[in-house]
Amino acid sequence: MSISQEFTKGLWKEIPPFRLVLGLCPTLAVTTAGENGLGMGLATTFVLVFSNLLISLLRNVIPNKVRIAAFIVVIASFVVIVELVMQAYVYPLYKVLGIFIPLIVVNCIILGRAEAFASKNKLLASIADGLGMGIGFTISLTVLASVRELIGNGTLFGAHVMWSSFQPFSIMLKPPGAFLCLGLILGFMNFVSARQKGH
Amino acid sequence: MRDLIKMVVVLTAICGVSGLVLSYTNQATKAPREYQLLKYVKGPSIKAVLGGYDNDPIKDKIVLNMGKDKKGKPILKNIFPARKGGKLVGLAYGSAATGYHGPIDVMVGFDPKGKISGISIMTHSETPGLGARIVEPAFTKQFKGLTLSGDLNLTAKGGKIDSVSGATHSSEGTVEAVRKALELFPTVKKEVG
Repeated sequence: MSISQEFTKGLWKEIPPFRLVLGLCPTLAVTTAGENGLGMGLATTFVLVFSNLLISLLRNVIPNKVRIAAFIVVIASFVVIVELVMQAYVYPLYKVLGIFIPLIVVNCIILGRAEAFASKNKLLASIADGLGMGIGFTISLTVLASVRELIGNGTLFGAHVMWSSFQPFSIMLKPPGAFLCLGLILGFMNFVSARQKGH
Repeated sequence: MRDLIKMVVVLTAICGVSGLVLSYTNQATKAPREYQLLKYVKGPSIKAVLGGYDNDPIKDKIVLNMGKDKKGKPILKNIFPARKGGKLVGLAYGSAATGYHGPIDVMVGFDPKGKISGISIMTHSETPGLGARIVEPAFTKQFKGLTLSGDLNLTAKGGKIDSVSGATHSSEGTVEAVRKALELFPTVKKEVG
């Protein structure tokens, strides 16, 4: 696959968390408002790109037996950097995302890409893969969060957009709403894919 | 054996570099992180107890060394000055005393002469519905304009503060915290100028 294909596969064909069903914990937990989804997505993208970059560079140096330990140290370091920077410059978002920022360490997408892709591929391809997956994840989280915010609160990125007599369905902001929304989007994507294939 | 040495060396190197990078990031973001923490945790209280200023009291904070604690570490106190056109119009700083369940943290605001311009309860662990009512304006506004005198006492002790009903200890704790802050004022004022 070419570099551009490595990038674009993360945007539709293997888009996390819908196609690559990994990283569901932050997906379900933080997507209560568009802004949170976007923030979580961007934080994950940063970690994904840099961990892919570093692991791809070190792929011939890291002994096979301790590779997971090495990957986790690399990933955890970038997560701590993200956490400190968010605390210093976007404190309200840091408070909202709370425990889910340190939990990026155990986000399966990141370890998954490190293990399945970056440790076997060249530098540029790995960066493209990380960037594509990260942006795909960001788009998914933002869409999911926006739908939940719109139906559950009548707002979009904090701005009122629904008509004034609209009664918000607050269940959409609660955990069941996350599953409902995830299922509906997944179904929609399968429908579109099936149509594309001509079934 | 060679494999083993390689594993140890590589993992050690990765951890070492990671430690270095992290300690650097920690240092580099220290000042803005402290600022954000003060802004969002103490900011609302500072705003509530000071008025009529045009500076950023958190950015202009003055750190005073208030002697040493039992372990010989210096006790540092953040003082938040309110200025208008460069002139000092007020001061605010935190103070704490024990309430019924635990410490009550109070932000106390002063005018330049040492009169209280307002108080705001930052954190406490008093009983909800009883002692927790010390955060209500009905209680806190009574402190406005007081100085270190007999008025700064609960009415039961001949002062001017009506305690929150059913929560004498919580009210007493608040008064105590405010009194501590007032006692510090001359020292603080001298340092700030």
